[in-house]
Amino acid sequence: MLNFFSSHWSILQAQFWSLLVIGLANGFIYAMVAIGYTLVYGVLRLINFAHSEVVMSGAFGGYFALRETLGSTIPNGVSSIGYVMLGAVVGALVGALVATFVERVAYRPLRKRNAPKIAFLISAIGASYFLVNLAGKEFGRYNTVLPQPYVNKTAFTFLGAQVQTYYLVIVVFAMIMLVVLDRFVAKSRLGRSIRAVAQDAETASLMGVNIDRTIGLTFIIGGALGGVAGFMIALNTGAIYTMGFVPALKAFTAAVLGGIGNLRGAVLGGLLLGVVESMSVAFVNPAFIDVVAFGILVLVLLFRPTGILGERLGRTA
Amino acid sequence: MKIRLSKTLVAVATSAVLLTAVPVVGIAESASASVPTYIVGFEGPMTGGAAALGTAAIYGMDLAITVANATLNLPFNVTTINPSSPQANTVYDDQCSGSNGGTEATAAVGVSNLIAMVGPECSGATRTALPIYSAAHVATVSPSATAAALTTGKANNTFMRVVPGDDVQGAADAKFLVKTKGKKKIYVLNDASFYGSGLASVFNTAAKANGAKTTVATLPLSTACTGNGSTSQFASTATLIKNSGATAVYYGGYYCDFGQLLNALHDANYTGAIMSGDGSEDPALLTSVTDPSYASGVYLSIASSGGSIPQWFLNGYNAQSGAPDAASAPYATQAYDSTLMILTAMKAAWHRGISATNLRKAVVTKLHALTYRGITGVIKFQSNGNLTRASVINFYHVLSGQSGAGTTGGYGIVQFAHS
Repeated sequence: MLNFFSSHWSILQAQFWSLLVIGLANGFIYAMVAIGYTLVYGVLRLINFAHSEVVMSGAFGGYFALRETLGSTIPNGVSSIGYVMLGAVVGALVGALVATFVERVAYRPLRKRNAPKIAFLISAIGASYFLVNLAGKEFGRYNTVLPQPYVNKTAFTFLGAQVQTYYLVIVVFAMIMLVVLDRFVAKSRLGRSIRAVAQDAETASLMGVNIDRTIGLTFIIGGALGGVAGFMIALNTGAIYTMGFVPALKAFTAAVLGGIGNLRGAVLGGLLLGVVESMSVAFVNPAFIDVVAFGILVLVLLFRPTGILGERLGRTA
Repeated sequence: MKIRLSKTLVAVATSAVLLTAVPVVGIAESASASVPTYIVGFEGPMTGGAAALGTAAIYGMDLAITVANATLNLPFNVTTINPSSPQANTVYDDQCSGSNGGTEATAAVGVSNLIAMVGPECSGATRTALPIYSAAHVATVSPSATAAALTTGKANNTFMRVVPGDDVQGAADAKFLVKTKGKKKIYVLNDASFYGSGLASVFNTAAKANGAKTTVATLPLSTACTGNGSTSQFASTATLIKNSGATAVYYGGYYCDFGQLLNALHDANYTGAIMSGDGSEDPALLTSVTDPSYASGVYLSIASSGGSIPQWFLNGYNAQSGAPDAASAPYATQAYDSTLMILTAMKAAWHRGISATNLRKAVVTKLHALTYRGITGVIKFQSNGNLTRASVINFYHVLSGQSGAGTTGGYGIVQFAHS
C-alpha cells in the first residue's frame, strides 16, 4: 500500500502543473454550466434537468457559426480571437434561446398552476428528451468536428506545464464571463431583483419586482453561460446530440459541492471537481476518476450538507 | 326462338369461358405468389459514432443481393436493402451498443420471413443479440465482430464470422509493435467496450510475452461516440502517457474515441508510436480528429480481405447511389461475402413447402457445411463459428500530409502481412 502511494505520488509530483492546467480548464467549463443550475435553483428551488441540452445546443450554435464563416484555412492572431468570440456569442444566444424555451414551455405553465415540484422534474426530463432527440434528428447522430478557429499549439510553458491555446481560451473566456456575472448580480438592478426573488419571491413581488421577468432573465443568463460552455467543449471534442449529459451531470455535482444556489460556490465546486478529476488519473485508472470525484462529493455532503459555501444566492453574489 | 337459344348458348358459353378463365388467372397468380419472398437482414450501427461501419456494409449487402438475383437462379425472392432508404424489416440499427443489440435482435427475429442476418457488426451488440438469434435459429454471419469470447467453447454456433477473432489480431498486433517496431514500453488503453477491452487484453498479454513492459488503462466510451463516458478524461491521460516515457500507445476501441485520444495525444506533444486495431480502421477516423494530420503515422491492423479488391466489385459498389468509396469502405467486401454465402446456403436448404422456421434451421446447418470462395478468400466455418483457414493480418499506417480540416484521405501502404 505504501509503495502504491509513493510511486503514484511521485507521478503526481512530476506532472502536477500539467494536470492542474487541464483540471482548471475542465473546472471552468463545469463552473459555467453549474451557474445555470445554481441560478435556477436559487429563484425556483428546482433543478433544471434540461440544462444539459442547453449546453448541447450552444455547441451546435457555435459549430454552425464557424462552419458558415470560416474558410478552408485556419486563422491566427486577432482573426482567431474574433472567430472564437463569434462562436461563443452565437453559442450563448442559442443557449439562452433554448433555456428560455424550456422555461416558457416546461416550467412557466406549471408555475402558473402551482404544480407540485415533482411535476417540474418530470416536465424538465421530458423537455430534455425532446431536445436531445430533436438535435439527433436534425443534426445527425454522429460526432461533428468543429472547424478550427485557431491552431491549437503550446501557447506558453508554465512551471514545466505546456499550456495549450485551447486551455487558454477556456480560462480567459470563463474568467471574464464569471467576473462580469458576479458584478452584474451584485451591483445591477436586475441582479438585485434576482437576489430578491431568491430570498423571498412573494415579498419581492410585493416590492414591485416582476417575478416572471426575473425568472426569465435567470434562465437567459444560465442558458448563455451553458451555451458558451458547450461551444468550448465542442472546440476540443466536437458536437453530438448526447454531449450535454456528462458535463451537465458533473456541473450539477459541482453546484452541489460548492453549495447549490451559491454563484461563487458553483465556481469553486467546478474548479475543485475539475482539478480532483484531473489529478486522480495519477492514482487510479481513468475509468475510475468519476468514482473519486463523486466520492469526494459524498464526503463533503456528509460533513457539510449545504456544500462548501452553503446556499445563499439571495444574500450574496 | 332459335335466335334466343343461340343468344342463351352464347351467354352460357361466355360465362363458362369466364368461369374457367378466372381459375386459370387465379392459378397463374397463385403460382406467382407461391414464390416466397425472404429477407436477409442486417444489424449494425447506422447512427451514432460508428455509423460509417454500417453504411459501408449495407451497400456491400445490396450489391450481393443484386448479384445473387442475377446469377444464382434463386427459387425465391430476396428483398433488396435499398441502402439510401432501407426497405422495411431489412436494417436494424444497434448503434454498436450492447444495450441495443438485444432489442434489435428481438425485432428482427419477429419478422416471419427473415431467414438470416449479416452482422451484428460490433462485438458488444453481438454479445447481447446472440442468445436471441440463437433461440430463433437465425444464422448470423458477421463481417466484423471479432471478440474472441463470441466463439470460444461454442459448437454448431448460429454465430459465424468471416474475419479472424481478436485473439489472432491482438497477438499479431503485439508482435508487430514489440518485435518489428521494437517498442518495449507500451501504454495499453481500451474503451471499456466488449470489443475494445477484449482486444486490449489479448494485446497486453501478448506484448508482455514478447518482452514489453505495459501499463493498462481504461477510457470509457465517451459521449462523443454516444457512450456515457466523459470526454475530459482524454487530456489528463494523454499527459500521463506523455510523461510516462511510453514509447508506444495501443488502443482497443473504435475510431470515434480513438480520434479523441489522438487529439489529446497531439495536444500533449506525444511523439511515440500509436496503434489501434480494426475498430479504428475507418476513413472516418480522419474526420474524428481536429486535423487529419494528427492521425499521421498511426498504425492500424485489419484482417486481410484476400488480397486486392477486384475491380468489378469496386465498380459495382461505387455505382450505387450514395455509396461510400469502396476502396476505403470498412468491411464492405466482408458484408458482400457474408450475404452471398447466406444466399447460397438458403438456396441449398430451400425446397418447396419448407416453412420459414425450418428454413432458418436448415440455413444454419448448410452454412456450417458450405465451402464458399468469396472475394475475401475461401470461407469455411468451424463448428464454433470461426474461419477454418489461417488468418492474415495486414498492418497499415495512416499517410502523412493529409492536413486541412474535413479532408478525408485514404489509408497508407501495407507494411507487411503476418499470418
